[in-house]
Amino acid sequence: MEAVINDYISREIVQDPSLLPLGNETPLLETGILDSLSLLRLVVFIQERFDVIVDDLDLVPEHFASVDTICAYLRSQIGKGAGQAGSRG
Amino acid sequence: MGEAGERAGSPRRQLLRKAESLAYWLVGAPLVASLPASLAYRVACWRGDWTSRSWPEKRSEMMDNLHQVLGDELTLNEAERLTRDLFRFRSCEVIDVMRLRGRARSLARLVEIRGREHLQAALAGGRGAILCTAHYGSHQSAFSLLHASGIPLTTMGRWDWKYDAGVSSVERRFWNLVFARRVLRHRQRPHIEPWPGRVQVAAQAAAALRANEVVTISSDAAPLHAERARAIEMPFLGRQARLMPGVITLAQLTGAPILVAFVHRSPDYQHQVLEISPPVPIDGQTKTAFGRCAAAIEAAIRTSPAHWNFWFEAEVLARLGVLPAAPPIGTAALSRQPADG
Repeated sequence: MEAVINDYISREIVQDPSLLPLGNETPLLETGILDSLSLLRLVVFIQERFDVIVDDLDLVPEHFASVDTICAYLRSQIGKGAGQAGSRG
Repeated sequence: MGEAGERAGSPRRQLLRKAESLAYWLVGAPLVASLPASLAYRVACWRGDWTSRSWPEKRSEMMDNLHQVLGDELTLNEAERLTRDLFRFRSCEVIDVMRLRGRARSLARLVEIRGREHLQAALAGGRGAILCTAHYGSHQSAFSLLHASGIPLTTMGRWDWKYDAGVSSVERRFWNLVFARRVLRHRQRPHIEPWPGRVQVAAQAAAALRANEVVTISSDAAPLHAERARAIEMPFLGRQARLMPGVITLAQLTGAPILVAFVHRSPDYQHQVLEISPPVPIDGQTKTAFGRCAAAIEAAIRTSPAHWNFWFEAEVLARLGVLPAAPPIGTAALSRQPADG
């Protein structure tokens, strides 16, 4: 998951080549890599690639601070989805 | 006195202007707005003429701005007429804001909305609609009116007076009281303010579009220093200007169509027309697609330069790149009128 997110951000969002290669712990907001529109692009990508709907209330800096925090958030959402599916089944 | 000081005028005159502006917004305009429209807007024009005469430094700065950008297209007489109209329009815009009270019927009687069918057809697609506009005419009041007429609408833009370090908390409260409170009564959602670091703003706009609502974006906003990397350079008003193409990115991500909208004041100063275009094609590269929006904005400015609010703001024109050099420092906040930019 980290590799997929890192690759997408590196290819589609990073505009300053000096910021590459991107570390999974690189701050995405403080370095200006992610702004509100690129975050929206990332959210659309995440929905398409991982089938995770990011709630508007979850669009907080803590979840999108780095590739690592994005993946931690996604795993928690996937876990939540699996838990709900399991309880329904 | 330095150049900035000369442009702002003597401290006594600055203070008088602030006091006059305060009195106009708090007392004069609310009273004048309750008069019959023909009389109310005539009084607003007199006040605009008075402001113009009593602020020769600003008048000459605006004439400079007009000449530097529009160049040989303008004769001296035309530049003087445009400057006079800029002051009159600004004064009339305060009356527009006051006439938004209640269900805004007293302003609705004076504003014709053309192209509403384009907006309704766009909303029938179920993906919302983006109105691409500019700091042009009485745009905030016009959008309030559109919302009051039954179109669910939210505005997006920066209101500098809320964040400018030079604006005191008293002044912020003042503009909230006299301006923001009145226009924001007629919005579907809270005003969306795209400041650097506010990572959720595009998602807020996307949420409104997903709910099949209208979002307005002023695409002539000058990029802040932190946004320069994301600005694109393109021909605008005869120079390579720096503009933010976010409207295109938002449309491409959400599937919402973009329509352009401008509000024009008639020669009688009281009547206005809000004109909404059919959808603008957004195919091609971002720069190509945004070029169509920028061309529509430039055409509106060239057709009626007196409607563009940025002639007052040389600093904004410089940040946009349509003025060649950094201008003198701006004047005190109460001497200007709130504008998102």
